Amino acid sequence: MVKRAVLILAVAVLLVAGLAPVAAMFVRSLDVDGQFSLANYESLLVSGRQWTLLANSLALASLTTILALAIGVPLGVLLGRTDLPLRRALAVLFTVPLLVPPYIIAVSWFDVLGPQGFLSQISAVAAEHAAAWLFGLWGNVLVLTSVFTPVVMLLTMVYLKTVNPRLEEAGKLAAGWCRVLWGITLPLVWPGILLAAVLVFLLAFGELGVPMFLRFSVFPVESFTQFTAFYNFGAATAAAAPMAGVTLLVFALERALVHQGTVHIRFAPQGDAASVIRLGRYRRPLGLAAIALCFLMVAAPLVALVARSMSVGAYAEAFAKAGDSLVRSIEYAALGASLLAILGFLLGYMIQDRALKGWPTVDWLTIFLFALPGSVIGIGLISLWNRPATNFVYGSFLIILLGYVAQYAGVTSRITAAILGEIPPSMEEAAQLAGARWPRRVLLITAPIARRGLVGAWLGGYIFCLRDVGISIMVYPPGQDTLPVRILTRMANGTPELIAALCVVMVLCALVPLAVLGLLLKWRGTAR
Amino acid sequence: MNAVALDSVSKSLGGKPVVRDFTLAVPPGERLAILGPSGCGKTTVLRLLAGLLAPDGGSIEISGQLVAQDGRNLVEPEDRGVGMVFQDLALWPHLSVRGNLEFGLKAKGVRRSERQSRMARMLDLVHLTDYAAARPAELSGGQQQRAALARALVTQPKVILMDEPLSSQDRELRLELRTEITRLQELIGFTLIYVTHDLDEAFHIAARVVLMRNGAIEADGTADETRRHLTSTSPSWLP
Amino acid sequence: MKRLLAIMVGTLAGLVFAGCSSQPSAEEVVVYVSEDQVFSEPILKDFEAATGIHVKAVYDTEEAKSTGAMNRLIAEKDNPQADVYWANEPIRAEVLKQKGIAAPCASPNAAGIPDQFKDPQGCWTGFSARARVLVVGKNVKAPPSSILDYTDPRWKGRGVIANPLFGTTTSQVAALFTLWGDEKAKDFMVRMKANGTELSTSNGESADLVAAGNFDFSLVDSDDVVNRMKQGRPVAMIYPDQRGDEVGCMIVPNAVVLIKGAPHPASAKRLIDFLLSKETERKLAFAECAQIPLHAGVETPPEVKPIEGLKTMRINYAEVARKMQDIQPFLKEWAGL
Repeated sequence: MVKRAVLILAVAVLLVAGLAPVAAMFVRSLDVDGQFSLANYESLLVSGRQWTLLANSLALASLTTILALAIGVPLGVLLGRTDLPLRRALAVLFTVPLLVPPYIIAVSWFDVLGPQGFLSQISAVAAEHAAAWLFGLWGNVLVLTSVFTPVVMLLTMVYLKTVNPRLEEAGKLAAGWCRVLWGITLPLVWPGILLAAVLVFLLAFGELGVPMFLRFSVFPVESFTQFTAFYNFGAATAAAAPMAGVTLLVFALERALVHQGTVHIRFAPQGDAASVIRLGRYRRPLGLAAIALCFLMVAAPLVALVARSMSVGAYAEAFAKAGDSLVRSIEYAALGASLLAILGFLLGYMIQDRALKGWPTVDWLTIFLFALPGSVIGIGLISLWNRPATNFVYGSFLIILLGYVAQYAGVTSRITAAILGEIPPSMEEAAQLAGARWPRRVLLITAPIARRGLVGAWLGGYIFCLRDVGISIMVYPPGQDTLPVRILTRMANGTPELIAALCVVMVLCALVPLAVLGLLLKWRGTAR
Repeated sequence: MNAVALDSVSKSLGGKPVVRDFTLAVPPGERLAILGPSGCGKTTVLRLLAGLLAPDGGSIEISGQLVAQDGRNLVEPEDRGVGMVFQDLALWPHLSVRGNLEFGLKAKGVRRSERQSRMARMLDLVHLTDYAAARPAELSGGQQQRAALARALVTQPKVILMDEPLSSQDRELRLELRTEITRLQELIGFTLIYVTHDLDEAFHIAARVVLMRNGAIEADGTADETRRHLTSTSPSWLP
Repeated sequence: MKRLLAIMVGTLAGLVFAGCSSQPSAEEVVVYVSEDQVFSEPILKDFEAATGIHVKAVYDTEEAKSTGAMNRLIAEKDNPQADVYWANEPIRAEVLKQKGIAAPCASPNAAGIPDQFKDPQGCWTGFSARARVLVVGKNVKAPPSSILDYTDPRWKGRGVIANPLFGTTTSQVAALFTLWGDEKAKDFMVRMKANGTELSTSNGESADLVAAGNFDFSLVDSDDVVNRMKQGRPVAMIYPDQRGDEVGCMIVPNAVVLIKGAPHPASAKRLIDFLLSKETERKLAFAECAQIPLHAGVETPPEVKPIEGLKTMRINYAEVARKMQDIQPFLKEWAGL
């Protein structure tokens, strides 16, 4: 009874925070000059240009996904299962592009490959060709691949932990590691790879800042233009509606390809550690290759960013001009991550346990909200919560937290569902038979056993909340902007050194909790 | 009054009938083994008794109380007064042996002094007093078995269910633990329902053996009676 | 585990407390600002220091980077949160007036501002203007001097312009439509595109591309050029179409709007008076944005040409705002959307 009530409450929170604003926007999109009308949707279908933009977006998303998988899966295997040198440092470095607004990464690549960039100091001809190539489909693919490959890498590493080492060991008796990885391990982690593909595809499909900077026309531009140039919210929502269709299609594909769906996985039996693959004579060359890839994908643009920020006073100015927004960013991201971790735990539990009918719909809803442009959710939140009776929410940072919950619940619920799959059902059943009711056994048995995964979900929520712009810029209370918003508002005429310094500070904001946590876990491990 | 009574219980899983028209009465204090090949439904019977599954048909009584009928559980697992040792033991890795034992006692609201004395007695009974502070990962296979048994017993349930708890142990340890289980049952006097596919184990532990096949009872009698039945029928699943 | 939980709960409680505990000021004003934060924030801080009224601001981004202040104002129409809107060009202010979000406000400091830069009903008042100018690479020989050079074959493929769907470029194009008529203006746009003109995402980006040598010239706002010049980038500024028979350069003043239903009307009016003062115009003239005062007799630095020294485009901003809505479908198609 309590279990059902709590899970229904969690779903209700998701509906209020996420579905209600979107539904409000949808209703608005059916209103043209005070009358019910489908005109906003019809105009989408009529315009031939929309189909071209859709094709562009699909091409960009598909190519980015394919490349991110091609790089991210082997990287995840190398960093997660082998004795590759410097693998922990490399795992952190490869994650860094995910922490910065993608637009900044595009600007950094321009600094490297543009006509006045670092490459031009080596070869002007090469720089000219590189610049021409950057401003087009493949340039966009390069930038988005470097941003979203960490998603694939991290999920591969997580899902590799689900593989029962006995299965690999059985294969090793008959074949070498390459065959075992290809024929046994990767098919077993296929649901995780598919989840990564879904997330990268949706993120790339919905990306706007990078294609606009690199002058590649994509589908989300229509929704954005309706907001920014026409102030037509109804048309803007209608323009975002195809996201629902795309998400449904992607979801259907995911479920068709993986029988159980990507959420239900079983980790290796407790206490069984996966064996580390010894690379032997390939250790050094693969290590060098990973370092080279890191340099190409991550270090080059980030070094450009850091190099630009290395001016006297840039960091002092950064803290002076944005110190307050930095503190707020960390506060809101930490609070948001905590809310998301709790909600994600409950939704993930519901999805993993199939505890309520309709769990697939809830699962789809969280992913759909994740894929939706933040501006649609933001304007929806304004229309719902900007009333005198609810001003205590709208006029405070609580509205930002609501936005985070709406947009990112899918991240924590999917990570949590995956981690909860680690726990054999007998753990909770034993607690039940010992006399514990649901809240007690979830709090004292399930959650503690899953604690590392819950921390991972918290960190995932923290990273996404920290880097959020779409929601924050729409709803932040006056005078309470966050750091990514401050970076964007200062970008027009702030010095490049200041902007670069602010971005570096933002990266550190994201990395510091990771480092602290890593040290804390290491200390607790040693203490025991 | 029987410790456990199942009356025409049936259960389907995934559209397939797994338990069919299962009727069984177990008097208090009896040691009963349910023997049968893999997939015959014996684990499902245990889970129905524990309340982890609800029967599709029939009724279940525990200590005279109706706990399931008409396709639903009337009493939740945490209120049935049943203890269970799982096949994978399900010892909680983040709690010490003492913590594993204390969890159920706290859940039932047992006072601190009573908890301490019950745990001390149980740890002594299973010879784990020196390992009270150890985590399950630090124990040997046999010690983990005893810890799981102690945890099931410490809340003083009337009925203990054991689902092939020794299947992953080596022969020597199995022999040792069988004896241990029998000793504890005779000492404490709980009703034991023990599921296994191992003939030897069933005959050693139980005074009464129920033979299951395809979800139904094929034979029900003393160890000797069951042995004779098996000799005459020679089922293919027997070694 | 319990200790870690206690630390986490304690930290969260602290964060929530910190987040909630902003002291409510005795007096405050909420202003949404489309003028670049780099330039507007110091003015607002000066207002705070001078009056003791706490300013809470929502700043905007460059148009093509995200949705922002205008959308919030429109979305919040039924329960306004803002008191004042500081627009960086009068077209946005006109849009607010047309949507019934602006309230008339007669500031005494508006008296010295020419009528051409004010709404007749007092719903917005212009101050501190930018000019739409040509940013030109310093190494460019015989640089362009007119916006018509976008269609000159001599400059084929060498010009860039910010996306005309957003910001001051939209206003400029709409202004040309009102001046030349639809046919001539469309023809100009078509020939501009045929002459290989590229699109950038913003005026700032256009200026950067010219400074980097990717293009020879672009039509941008004067503050974008002055900013790059002060950074030592190799660019120069040309006020276009200054000859007798030419249209003149478009002036884009900031505009201040009192929001209808403002929660703090008294503070709002004080802020409006402050923004429309000669002293504010002087500060914005000497700031990096180098904006042109609209009050006569305001001290300016050498690089800021006084308004009297410029041949300006004679346009009606209300008409431009209406035309802007009309030409959006054409602009969408032109921009390739």
